[in-house]
Amino acid sequence: MSIEEQYRTRAKELLAGGAVKMVIGYGKGTTGERRRPIFITSPDEVERLVLDEACITNLSGYLVSEGLLSDEKRVAVFLRPEGVRAVNILAAESQLDSDQLVIFGFDVVGNEIKALKGIHVEEFADVIESLKESAPGVAKELLLEKIESMSPQERFSYWQGEFAKCIKCYACRQACPMCYCRRCIVDSNQPQWVNTSSHSLGNFEWNIVRAFHLSGRCVECGNCDRACPVNIPLRLINHRMAEEVLGTFDHFAGTSKTQEPVLASFKKDDSETFIL
Amino acid sequence: MTKILFSDKLDNCVERWKKAGFSVIGPVQRNNISTYAAVERAAELDLGLILTERSIKELFFPQSEPMLQYTIKKDSIETKDFLPPSGQRIIFGARPCDASGMAIDDPLFGWDYKDEYWFQRRNESVIVTIACTQSDDFCMCTSLKLAPDSTKGSDILLRPLENKRGWLVEEITDRGRDAFKAIADIVQESADTAAPLAVVEKKFDLDRSVAWLQNPENFESRFWKEISMRCIGCASCTFLCPTCHCFDIQDEGDTYSGMRRKNWDSCSFALFTMHTSGHNPRSTQSARWRQRIMHKFNYFPGKFSVNSCSGCGRCSRQCPVDMGITETLQEISKLSQ
Ligand code: SF4
Ligand code: SF4
Ligand code: SF4
Ligand code: SF4
Ligand code: SF4
Repeated sequence: MSIEEQYRTRAKELLAGGAVKMVIGYGKGTTGERRRPIFITSPDEVERLVLDEACITNLSGYLVSEGLLSDEKRVAVFLRPEGVRAVNILAAESQLDSDQLVIFGFDVVGNEIKALKGIHVEEFADVIESLKESAPGVAKELLLEKIESMSPQERFSYWQGEFAKCIKCYACRQACPMCYCRRCIVDSNQPQWVNTSSHSLGNFEWNIVRAFHLSGRCVECGNCDRACPVNIPLRLINHRMAEEVLGTFDHFAGTSKTQEPVLASFKKDDSETFIL
Repeated sequence: MTKILFSDKLDNCVERWKKAGFSVIGPVQRNNISTYAAVERAAELDLGLILTERSIKELFFPQSEPMLQYTIKKDSIETKDFLPPSGQRIIFGARPCDASGMAIDDPLFGWDYKDEYWFQRRNESVIVTIACTQSDDFCMCTSLKLAPDSTKGSDILLRPLENKRGWLVEEITDRGRDAFKAIADIVQESADTAAPLAVVEKKFDLDRSVAWLQNPENFESRFWKEISMRCIGCASCTFLCPTCHCFDIQDEGDTYSGMRRKNWDSCSFALFTMHTSGHNPRSTQSARWRQRIMHKFNYFPGKFSVNSCSGCGRCSRQCPVDMGITETLQEISKLSQ
C-alpha cells in the first residue's frame, strides 16, 4: 500500500471513530503540479487527500486559526519535519497544546515520499536532531554563496534592489506559521512603530523587523519565500539568521515543545548589559 | 492591404517616440520579476511573456504615493501638494486584460471625486496593446466576456503576424492615432495576415454566478466558509489585480511635520474594516473573501454596469494556497445549476 493510501485509511478510521474532528492535508490543485491545503471532516471525503512530492506547503499555521483548537477536540495534520518543528515552537510559545494533534508525518527525499513514524511531536525528536546535523538545502544555494562573498556595500545594494520590489502584501507573514500575532507590529498605530507605506524605508523596516522576529524561530519551511508574489528570496534572510542563532546560542529552532524560545529568554548572569 | 508594424523597426519607433517627447514603457523582466517599466531601447522589452507578474495598474496607481507635505509652526501651517510628475507616455505591449482593467476602473476613480492622480496619468498615456496568441491555465478573459483581442481600454491594438515578423495595426482611439503619426512612415502596407489568437476556454457561466450573488439569501451561505477556509488573508491577490483599487490615506511623520500618502489597501486584511473600538464587522476571512467576490461581481457592476475583473488570472496564478476568483466563480456557477 502506498503511503498516500495508508494515510487515507488512517484518516478515515480517525474521523469515523470520532478520534479527530478534522484532518488538515493536501488535495489536488488547479494544475497538475499544484497541491492545495484541504480540510476533511467526514470519513467519506478522505479520497480527496493527496500525498506526493508536490506537497511542500507547511500546514502548521492553520492549527492556530482562531477557534480551531479551543473546543479541546483533536485535529490531525500532515507535516514534514519542518512542520513538526513549527508545532514544537507553537507549543513552546503557548499557542497550542500539541497533545491535541495527531501527526501524519512525511518527508520528501529527492522525488520519493517517505513516511515518518509517530503521532506526537515527541516521537520526531530523532528526525529533528538529524536535521540539525545536516545542513538544510538553502545552505548549498549559489545565490547565497554569491551574496556572502559580496562586500557589505554590495550586499546592501543587493537587498535594496530586492526590497524595492516589496509591495507590502504581507503574504510572507500570513504564510508563516510563526507569524501568528493577532496584531502584528506593523498593524499597530498607537504608536506607529513601522511606516505603513511601501516605500524604500517602509519596505526595509518591514523586512528587517520580520527577520528579527523570526530569528531563532524560523524552521526554514520556505512558505514565506514561495508566497512572496514579487520573488524576493526571503529564504536566504531567514537561513542566515538561523545560522547566526545556531552559531551564537547553539539554538536549533523547534527541537522540542519545551525548548526555551531564544528571543524570549533572559538570564540574570547574561554578559550583555542591554537586551536587543 | 493592411497597416503593419515590423518588429525589426521597433527600435526606430522607440527612438521616434522618445524624440516626440514620450517616455516608452513596456513589459520587462528585471530583478527576477516581470513587470512594466520604462525602457531606452526596444531590445529591453520582453514581448514573449504571456502576462507580466505585476499588473499595469502600478503605472496609474502606484503602491505608495505622496499627496501632501505639512509643516506646523508656531503661528503658521505650511502645506505642499504633490501631483504625479507630468509627461506623455507610451505603454507598448500591454495585454488586453490589463488594458481593459484600466477602463474598468475609470468610472470608479471619476465617480464622485475625480482622482487627479489617476486621471493625470490616464490622460498622459497611450496604451498599445498586443493581442494574445498564447495563454496559460489561469487566463480567463473569455469567462468575463472579454477576449484575447479585446480593445477595451486600448488606444492601439496590435495583432501578431502569422510569420512572426511584426504586428497588424488597428487604431482604436484618436490618442492612439496621434501617437502613431510620429511613426507614420515606419508603419507599412502589407498583405501579411494575423496569427490565430490564443484559445481561452470559458471557465464558468458569468451570468449564472452573478445571479446567485445577487440573491440576498446566499449572503449567509455556508459556501463562503467552505471555499475560503484555506485563505491565509494576504493581499497578494488584490495587490497584483489590475482592477483592485482600494487605498488608505496615511500621515507619516509627527504632529509638526510629515507627509500624507496614498497607499494600496486590501479587503483581505483583517485591519481593513477594524473599528477604533476593536469591533470588526468583517471579523472572519470568509467574510472578507465574500466581500472581494461581492464587490467585483455584484456591488461594482450594480453601480458602474461593469464587473470589476478583466480575467487576467493573476489572483489564482500566484495565490500561495491555490485559491482565486476562478475557482470561486466556478463553484458558484455549479451551485446555481
Ligand atoms: S520565516 Fe518563512 S521559512 Fe521561516 S518559518 Fe516562517 S514561513 Fe517558514
Ligand atoms: S512580523 Fe513579528 S509582529 Fe508581525 S506577525 Fe510576524 S512575529 Fe508577529
Ligand atoms: S510577501 Fe514579498 S512583497 Fe509581500 S510583504 Fe512579504 S516581502 Fe513584501
Ligand atoms: S485568496 Fe490567496 S492570495 Fe488572496 S488573500 Fe487569500 S491566500 Fe492571499
Ligand atoms: S480578480 Fe483576478 S482575474 Fe480578475 S482582474 Fe483581478 S487578478 Fe485578474
